[in-house]
Amino acid sequence: MSDLTKQTSGEPSTIERVEITVNGQTVQARTDKPLIQACVQAEVEVPHYCYHPGLTPEGSCRICQVEVQQGKMPARVMVACRTPVMPGMVVNTETENAHDARRECLEFLLKNHPLDCPICDKAGECTLQDYSFAEGQGEGRSVEPRRKLEKRKDLGDVILLDQERCILCTRCVRFMEEVPKSPQLCVAGRGSHSTIETWNDTPLSGNYQGNLADVCPVGALTLKSFRFKARVWNLTKTASSCGECSRGCATTVEVLRKGEVTRIRPRHDEDVNGWWICDTGRFALDAFSLADRLVGTLLPSASRGWDATSVEDGLQIASDMLTTGDKPLIIASPWLTQEEGGELLALGQKINAQVAFVSTASNDLADDVLHTGDPGPNRRGLSDLGLKAMTAEEILHTASEHSTVLCIGERVGRLLGEGEAEGFNGLPTGARVLLFDCELPEAPTEGNSPIDIAIGLPSSVERVGHWVNIDGLRRNILQARPAPAGVWNTLRLLKHLHELLTNREVQS
Amino acid sequence: MSFVIILIKGALIYGGLLGTAAAMTLAERKVSAWMQLRIGPNRVGPGGLLQPLADGIKFIFKEEVTPDGANKGIFRLGPIMAAVPAMLTIAVIPFAGETTIFGIDFGLLSLTDLDIGLLFVLALSGLSVYGGILGGWASNSKYSLLGGLRASAQMVSYELSLIMTALTVVALSGSMNLREIVEVQNTGNFLDWHCFTPVVGQVGLILFVITTFAETNRHPFDFAECEPELVGGFHTEYSSMKFALFFLGEYCAMTVMACLTTVLFLGGYSVPFWEDAPWIVQVGTFMTKTAFFLFLFIWVRWTLPRFRYDQLMNLGWKVFFPIALANLLLAGAVISLS
Amino acid sequence: MVVVKRRELTFWERIYLPEIFRGLAITFKKMFEPRVTRQYPEETLPTTEVTRGQPRLVVKDDGNIACVSCGLCEAACPAYAITIDGQETERFIEREPERFEINMLRCILCGFCEEACPKEAIFMSDELELADTTRQGLVYDMKRLERPASTLKPRIDYVRRINERW
Repeated sequence: MSDLTKQTSGEPSTIERVEITVNGQTVQARTDKPLIQACVQAEVEVPHYCYHPGLTPEGSCRICQVEVQQGKMPARVMVACRTPVMPGMVVNTETENAHDARRECLEFLLKNHPLDCPICDKAGECTLQDYSFAEGQGEGRSVEPRRKLEKRKDLGDVILLDQERCILCTRCVRFMEEVPKSPQLCVAGRGSHSTIETWNDTPLSGNYQGNLADVCPVGALTLKSFRFKARVWNLTKTASSCGECSRGCATTVEVLRKGEVTRIRPRHDEDVNGWWICDTGRFALDAFSLADRLVGTLLPSASRGWDATSVEDGLQIASDMLTTGDKPLIIASPWLTQEEGGELLALGQKINAQVAFVSTASNDLADDVLHTGDPGPNRRGLSDLGLKAMTAEEILHTASEHSTVLCIGERVGRLLGEGEAEGFNGLPTGARVLLFDCELPEAPTEGNSPIDIAIGLPSSVERVGHWVNIDGLRRNILQARPAPAGVWNTLRLLKHLHELLTNREVQS
Repeated sequence: MSFVIILIKGALIYGGLLGTAAAMTLAERKVSAWMQLRIGPNRVGPGGLLQPLADGIKFIFKEEVTPDGANKGIFRLGPIMAAVPAMLTIAVIPFAGETTIFGIDFGLLSLTDLDIGLLFVLALSGLSVYGGILGGWASNSKYSLLGGLRASAQMVSYELSLIMTALTVVALSGSMNLREIVEVQNTGNFLDWHCFTPVVGQVGLILFVITTFAETNRHPFDFAECEPELVGGFHTEYSSMKFALFFLGEYCAMTVMACLTTVLFLGGYSVPFWEDAPWIVQVGTFMTKTAFFLFLFIWVRWTLPRFRYDQLMNLGWKVFFPIALANLLLAGAVISLS
Repeated sequence: MVVVKRRELTFWERIYLPEIFRGLAITFKKMFEPRVTRQYPEETLPTTEVTRGQPRLVVKDDGNIACVSCGLCEAACPAYAITIDGQETERFIEREPERFEINMLRCILCGFCEEACPKEAIFMSDELELADTTRQGLVYDMKRLERPASTLKPRIDYVRRINERW
């Protein structure tokens, strides 16, 4: 378990709570959190830019000013993010003083903001936009020209900085210091010439740069890969989980017009990932590409390429293959959900098959923040179910004893070819290979294919289920977009196959 | 020789009739457009003159639909029964007196000089009821059937007034032969035309014109069609050339009725102040008078709204029939007194 | 309750014929009045800057499209007729549309896009004619939507004038 998750998981029993009043509402507020959290607890929204619940409060933006009255002192306007909670505080966010303070503060923030919202990728989820709409003035009063700074500053492979849009909240600086613990950003310059810079223009490094675009409350830090790809209000957002390592971070999968997954962002989950996600998971968009998908059923053609048929017919053929050979081997992918794993196990028992899953090799991405270095989100769940974990080499070795091999699950084809293993070509010649995967396998040449039947599966943004992560926590995945036409849900497919096998048994 | 002459006369008269009917389809649309401050068809040929031709070609190429459950034979008979009687009637209408063209004596410019010409006309116009009712019944459609029923009831009712009014003229001229009816009026003095006979003539003319509207199913009495209530009336289910035949029948009937009105009340081919006018002038005069009545058909159609059906029957039985009877009586009295 | 009595008809009205002749006289007179028909394809409808025709995109005088693909017209469109994908450019204004499609079959010519546009990039032109033989042909792409600013000038001036009022 990483430091971060330790830090945030559960409430220490020694936590102290005091009673305060927020907008006339009595709240039991935590003393270890700033006043703004007490307001959140009372469901009162306080505007904030520099404050981020996952970072140390700094109080540089001053937009979170609220009126606080304490004891016999007269009511004063204070920043909610840097004020500790004290017993008997009376907080009011809606007084004229508080509004004035926030409005004036906002006017200064907007003084040099370029107002290029039509171009800005943040438009639609920008808090500067939201609060100026709610509290700001219609027109600026400043007559001086806005400052001119660099609009396209390259900060490495992931992030692009627009210095004009920056409001110097320093969330990004604090993020780099506190979360990946690799301080790389700083505020350089003075006054209105302050900008966010890296030392000597060194490109940013690390596996957590993508989060900078999320923590930035305005459109200053944007993802290069998402630049001008979509307007955020056109994205359909679905709560799901990341499948790039066994951590299973909570994510929001954002799909453009029911088509490609355009963006994956972290979703707050106290017990697993806090507010963050690594770049491996964030940019794993290619895994959900709609291009080169295996759809319906493909059979090696006698001449060249594939012959297509329906899933129903394909399953009929598959059930023939599974019953004729002796003791088939079932190889699952660690991307199978618990539900699918259970169904697969039942299927294995029916045909008296050995059921194993590919235990993926650890990669070098492991760090002490989030990434476990173990691709395969449901490794623990499948092991708990009773599937045998085997590396690709072991599997290929075992397969030589079987005449029928069923490979099932997202990326199973790719996993078998990992490391030293030879993929499908490593399977014994003459063995019947059934492949249920998302990706289109390599087309057979001259009717010579290691694969005897290939049936399409939905990817993990197209189905519902749950994984069990490395800490034994349930990670739900939800359907973010419909599967391509001609692709059956994995569970339905397995149940149908089971039924076909049962019918065959009854007949014989 | 006389056979050839009859053939030539037939070709001329039927050519003229069909030509008039075709021209009427254009005239109807043009006049209605003018009355509504529009221009009317003007895309086919100069000023839209070829529109009837285009319509004809269109009708020929239209799909011919026979409804399921229609009585095929009678369904085909309907349009024929509507067109043929109307076209036959023209045979007894005299268009000019003794005619000599290029030295060849054509005799009376009429296909046949029948002693009971008027009776022939009335008999045939009675037959034309069958077109609507057969077509309406055979279509196997409620709208068609109702249209056919209405047409027959209306025509039977108004035929009485029509005949009574025609009898007034017979009484005034003392003959049923249309040539003789014209000759009685052809004195060189246009005041001898029956429409100028005091009271009897005027009442007769108005009654006759209105009843011909009812008889030919024209506005404001077109209850056989009556689009708002019956879709298309008796010809709802007809398409292509079958529909064209109904259409042709209607315009032929109009032409014939206009000719008949001219003959009975406006002195037929008689030219004012010129008793022995050459045939060409007589034909011209006849056509002018007929054209006026044809224009009246269109004019009234685009001016008056349709009657209500019960009011139509009331008008026919309770107003026109008594007036026609009284007018006949008056004519009898005038004749016996003079 | 108001009881409206039917007007008693006079004798002349009751015999109906004089009224018929009056009606006939009116229709006859109308035959000689000037026509009001417009020979449409040859004589088109007159348009002014107030005419709200089909939406068109402004191409600025420097040859660049004024649109920055902000997507506000797409969001404002009540008929979901507009689809925009953006891309980056080297110009000072960093963003331009890669794809800007208006499905003219869906467009209801409401003018919300014009109202939503922050960049004066889309205007309702005076172009009104819309016909094609395929559905796909009526999905207008950028090439078919672009118009030089000069042709849209009257409308642009008009919209600016109207917007000054608030």
